Amino acid sequence: MTKTPELIDALVEDATPVRRLRPPLVRAGLWLLFAALILGLIAIAHGLRPDYAERLRQPLFVIGMFGALATGALAAVASFRISLPDGSRLWLLLPLPALMLWISTIGYGCLTDWVSMPPDGGDRLGEAVRCFATVVMTSVPLSIAMLVMLRYAALLRAFEVSILGGLAVAAITSFALSLFHDLDASVTILIWNLGTAAIIASLASLFGRSLFTWMAARLMPSIVRPAIRR
Amino acid sequence: MDSSRKIGAAQDWSALMARAQDGDRRAYRLLLEGITPYVRKLAARCFKEPTDIDDAVQDVLLTIHMVRHAYDPRRPFGPWLVAIAHRRIVDRLRRETRWKAREVALTAEHETFVDAATNNNPGTFDEAVLAQAIERLSHDQRQAITMLKLNEMSLKQAAAASGRSVVALKVATHRALKHLRRMLKQESERP
Repeated sequence: MTKTPELIDALVEDATPVRRLRPPLVRAGLWLLFAALILGLIAIAHGLRPDYAERLRQPLFVIGMFGALATGALAAVASFRISLPDGSRLWLLLPLPALMLWISTIGYGCLTDWVSMPPDGGDRLGEAVRCFATVVMTSVPLSIAMLVMLRYAALLRAFEVSILGGLAVAAITSFALSLFHDLDASVTILIWNLGTAAIIASLASLFGRSLFTWMAARLMPSIVRPAIRR
Repeated sequence: MDSSRKIGAAQDWSALMARAQDGDRRAYRLLLEGITPYVRKLAARCFKEPTDIDDAVQDVLLTIHMVRHAYDPRRPFGPWLVAIAHRRIVDRLRRETRWKAREVALTAEHETFVDAATNNNPGTFDEAVLAQAIERLSHDQRQAITMLKLNEMSLKQAAAASGRSVVALKVATHRALKHLRRMLKQESERP
């Protein structure tokens, strides 16, 4: 076993200059900028949903959409804040109001104004495939970016960070869906928005920790590997 | 007096860490050597064994090294250090609890000896009775039990050696075990 003074020698030997992390707010802003870039690219490639201008006049749609956006932004800020060792756990609560607003508008919209599937069915399968493509194109790069930017949290607060990060990705993905796809039937809105969000968030909470542990094993083999080997 | 000294030390640590981030090795050594006794005190509250305490201290030092870029010199160093130490110590405690739940400490009863005679464990079953019971099985069943259970051959090996099919061996073993169970039960019920 290494003795502590020997470890200190080794660490001092390895102490190359490091670049300090930017403030969490700035880093969250960078992540959101990256999200905006992805959404912009999809908008150029796919175009906004055809009835977008009309939809913007419906308060419930606007509140729901921006509730999702606000949830994503606040969850991103909270995850960058909580990833720091001395960040308070109370940051977990930051996205809650926006999250409640977002979920309740979707639920309320479906409750009061249930729109059934059009009788002809439309091009439902094709739309489902396009929806799925949007989900993947938004959530995968955003998750990877989050994981890379917060890798040091692996050693500190993997669980909280993966929950908040997952929520941020899920909310932004849902925002993207309402920008690009005319999900008119209440069922499709529920399934695509909340369903996708639930899947992303649960994947994050299921695998987030193990992904971060994997990251920790790469960052700090001497600590994590013996634990895994056991 | 004591608390003001503590604040002074924390401010020093903050400045030392800021210099360490810029690559000042001397400052870094002073910092690590300065915080070690403090971290050790924190660890000693949770662990009893000196090796455990040492391991926890080293965990904390390594973590600080890995995340030293995440320290903002404008914020106090003390809470930052305590948060990291707490995190690593709690992780270690959790890991330890998991290991302990899976491990069984060996006691004198678990000990075995080179000499075969000392490994007898009378009372669980009488080998002679079992051997007699096996003798009383039919030929097929006895062969199956001997090959598969006593000689620990695989089903494939036993099938090749006996020239019987795997299914036949399985059936024979199953019946043999049932018979043996019945015979041993009768044996134990006999006064």
